[in-house]
Amino acid sequence: MAISPAGLRPEPGSFRDPANRVFHIGDDVLRGLDARAAEDWRALAGADFFTALLAAGKVCGTEALEPTLVPADIPWAAVLRHERIPFISHPYEWSFSMLRDAALLHLEILRAALPAGFTTKDGSAYNLQWRGSEPVFIDVGSFEPLRDGEPWAGYRQFCQTLLYPLLLTAHLGVDFQPWLRARVDGIEADQLRPLFRGARRLLPGVPTHLHLHGAMQSRNAAASTTDVRAQLRAAGYSRELALATVRGIEKLVRRLDRRPATSHWADYQRTCGYSSQDRVAKERFVTAALADGPRPRLVLDLGANDGRYARLAAGHADQVVAVEQDPAVADALYRALREERQHRVLPLVMDLADPSPGGGWRGVERASFADRAAAADVVLALAVVHHLAIGRNVPLPEVVDWLAGLGTPGARIVVEFVHPDDPMARRLLANKPEGLFPDYRREEFERLLAARCRIARRAELPTGTRTLYTAVVGG
Amino acid sequence: MIHLAYLDAGSGSLIVQAVVGGVAGVAVAAKLYWRRLVDRFRRQPTDHR
Repeated sequence: MAISPAGLRPEPGSFRDPANRVFHIGDDVLRGLDARAAEDWRALAGADFFTALLAAGKVCGTEALEPTLVPADIPWAAVLRHERIPFISHPYEWSFSMLRDAALLHLEILRAALPAGFTTKDGSAYNLQWRGSEPVFIDVGSFEPLRDGEPWAGYRQFCQTLLYPLLLTAHLGVDFQPWLRARVDGIEADQLRPLFRGARRLLPGVPTHLHLHGAMQSRNAAASTTDVRAQLRAAGYSRELALATVRGIEKLVRRLDRRPATSHWADYQRTCGYSSQDRVAKERFVTAALADGPRPRLVLDLGANDGRYARLAAGHADQVVAVEQDPAVADALYRALREERQHRVLPLVMDLADPSPGGGWRGVERASFADRAAAADVVLALAVVHHLAIGRNVPLPEVVDWLAGLGTPGARIVVEFVHPDDPMARRLLANKPEGLFPDYRREEFERLLAARCRIARRAELPTGTRTLYTAVVGG
Repeated sequence: MIHLAYLDAGSGSLIVQAVVGGVAGVAVAAKLYWRRLVDRFRRQPTDHR
């Protein structure tokens, strides 16, 4: 594949390090390196630790593109080709255990790199992505030769985007996702310190990584990092010390755990009132929708709960993204998937009535969920419409518009409509003034769906209070 | 050769890493602060001349 500059699309999330930049061309992911980064890459490619990480799948698949394929007018000294990550996600869409496993992988990679004379330039949570439930380090441009006597340049970023969010949830039971979503550079020490006063000052990791770190930052704000690096080197900071620090952080991160939370959704499958007949019929319907047509590359399961249908979809698709609003439920799903070694399902924490907007520089550095969802071939929206239409007051035509607008042209949408007389819908309606949702009827839903899609299949569940549809967008 | 990373590592964030590295690290941090202190006293007579 020879590359032409005309077909290159720069990745909007890759600009912070001018030494290398990620581009897309068709389905390929390329990384251009300047002369110095190209030299670092050649050293890295020959290092045993890096080969081992690649072989274990811990670093995303990377190969150098033949120089003959790179046109002379491209301003890069070398071009790498990366494995394509099936679905890009952001740390504020991950559950607690996902963020922790991502942090542990980052530290493991650094721990492998240091003895080999390499380090990572940064320590961001955005260096990591997922193949299903398996974390993978994607920022190959981050590796550089270690200069002995220097601490890790990525430590502050690691604290802000990984360690502090973990401390927030593990120690205080506060979900970190809204904090990370609001701050592209993560949580600063001074923003978190006021929450850790009194006895909380002594919680694991808090005295050093948070309070001392924050105090040191203010005290040394005027000192240049060049001077401090020289002072540390002169004082005898060593590679062994750098390793001991990484091991210490690793030990701390392993100890952090999410406080058990009682969640309404945690028992949903047990309490939601499906009869076993309904369940069998529903599984059969969903399976038929998945198997009918070309094999989907990407399936979205919206409102995934315990992941029953996401797992079902994983048997028919390359990758399933299981979106769940409740962080505790998404976390339980992630842990279960890891145990099952189910590597085709990526669980994400997200409120469908408030999906991730575009973030960072110009609002495009972190792509919105809508932009990323556009690649879906199949969308499962099972028992989710009533939560949006009744629970969140989203007008029914808007809900159907939104569903029909997800996915590729020709995408299959599998949607369940819960009739107003279903016990679950009745429970939601009981919380709202009577007569607020006159449109919320099966006939109206069907009319709206048919106006936007071709309804390929329809089946009422045996209980008679829920109907399933397979609709083809633009069909 | 002075080499600066693209990322501002933060001076305080560099020093605190010595402290969290255990006893040997605390010794490094103490040495760094001791030298800073000694340098300040050494410099002072020159400043007042």
